[in-house]
Amino acid sequence: MKKFMAMFLCATLAMGTLAGCSSTTDNGSSTADGSSAAANDAAISVVTREDGSGTRGAFTELFEIEDADGNDAITLNAEVSNSTAVVMTTVAGNPDAIGYISLGSLDKTVKALAIDGVEASVENVENGTYKVYRPFNIVTKESGISEVAQDFVNYIMSAEGQAVIAEEGYIPVETTTSYTASGLSGTVTVSGSSSVTPVMQVLKEQYEALNLDVTIELQQSDSTTGVNDAINGISDIGMASRALKDTETSEGVTGTVIANDGIAVIVNNENSITGLTSEQVKGIYMGEITNWSEVA
Amino acid sequence: MNKLREKSMGCVFLITALASIFAVIVICLFLFANGFPTIFEIGPLDFLLGTNWRPTQDIYGIFPMILGSIYVTAGSLILGIPIGLLCAVYLARFCPPKIYKYLKPAVDLLAGIPSIVYGFFGLVVIVPMMRDLFGGNGKSVLTASILLGIMILPTLISVGESSIRAVPESYYEGALALGATPEEAMFKVMLPAAKSGVTAGIILAIDRSIGEAMAVSMVAGNQPVIPESLLSGVRTLTSNIVLEMGYATDMHRAALLATGVVLFVFILLINLTFSLLRKKEDK
Repeated sequence: MKKFMAMFLCATLAMGTLAGCSSTTDNGSSTADGSSAAANDAAISVVTREDGSGTRGAFTELFEIEDADGNDAITLNAEVSNSTAVVMTTVAGNPDAIGYISLGSLDKTVKALAIDGVEASVENVENGTYKVYRPFNIVTKESGISEVAQDFVNYIMSAEGQAVIAEEGYIPVETTTSYTASGLSGTVTVSGSSSVTPVMQVLKEQYEALNLDVTIELQQSDSTTGVNDAINGISDIGMASRALKDTETSEGVTGTVIANDGIAVIVNNENSITGLTSEQVKGIYMGEITNWSEVA
Repeated sequence: MNKLREKSMGCVFLITALASIFAVIVICLFLFANGFPTIFEIGPLDFLLGTNWRPTQDIYGIFPMILGSIYVTAGSLILGIPIGLLCAVYLARFCPPKIYKYLKPAVDLLAGIPSIVYGFFGLVVIVPMMRDLFGGNGKSVLTASILLGIMILPTLISVGESSIRAVPESYYEGALALGATPEEAMFKVMLPAAKSGVTAGIILAIDRSIGEAMAVSMVAGNQPVIPESLLSGVRTLTSNIVLEMGYATDMHRAALLATGVVLFVFILLINLTFSLLRKKEDK
């Protein structure tokens, strides 16, 4: 009966190897040397965010990755990730990958590409040369919010609040007001987008240091939940990393842009390419350019 | 006095039993009440058999995701069942106590690892490995199957082991007395006797495999197209929901809920078929 066991094991092993064989032939020989250091003659691994993501919406709009009717036309063969962290890990681990993330999240693990010859940086977004950015919104009820919540909004929109936003790597909006603590007390609930939460956290700490009697409760979820919370009165202020939809504004809320966030197109550090034109980025994400040699 | 205590405790147990049933009913009602109108609004055939998923253009076809779920689950079972069952047999019968002392807690630990950790492990370990071996971007049906195959192991092993242990020792000894070798006694007498327990373990494994969302969405690539090969990316029903729920609004959100309904019906069907099968066997 040892024989039986041995045969069974052999069969399992054989099945495994067969499965491996058939899959390699299925895939063809296109990516046989995909792991070579210079990504000059390799298929491009396109990484994108999920449908409905604020980052994706802004990205497709800014690069006009749209079909004749103005709809999102990112190639269906693009790999889909639902968070900035996964996009970065994927691109950092794959020499042939290309992705896009919030400029505020950029670090040394990946390389940001210059678009049309302009480096992706806060300065270049501010002086208007780097065109790829999107708004961060806060959402409040049109019928008015509590006095202390309004005071927090005033702080965010003041020169002091905008200085905090700039320090965190985001692009401030123009402001003329300055903020002085008003000595109010109470609780303000803020909820919504995970992209806006990090900068809101810093704003909250700074504001609470000025107003010792005010507590700000910050809840992280997503843009849609943030908007719905504001509509339903669950929170005083909602956060959204995208523009509001008409169906949302018709429910009696307005969005205010508190900052802008650049979007960086990123590749692996080993990739020899340092910049692309916006036409090339569009071609890659439409599935028209599929090999790095076409853009080198 | 004793009678009163008896009765009141009886009530307490009844309420706790009803609580779980209540939860199931509420979930069912919520899913069906929200999902079915959407399915009919999109059109059941367009929804279930449509091969295009373009929520921004109001095109909702989940056929690629249905196939994706089936492929990935089947793949994980092909990899997981042989390893899991043989391991269960070993643990239940042939494992020396010295090794058992370490092996059993290790298996239990495997069961306790959160799925997001499995996902991250897959993303930084299995994905680069697959990329080096087969090329491409490394995120594929095969990668997801391997990761899920590992994730269902603890279920298969612990349910398998306990059902083999539940078979009376006399079966084993009887088989030996009739001249069977230990292996024959194991595979021809003990395993068939433990069949219903083992099947239950396999159902649980299928449920876990088809229901896993987070880990799969990190290693499967998530392209909403029908995979062409084992090395193509794939999107499952669960990852479709988990990927897009955060930002979805209006019809898009409703379509994701409807995806949940389809998944739920799938799991119901699987559980029903197996309980029918078991009933037949019991007769």
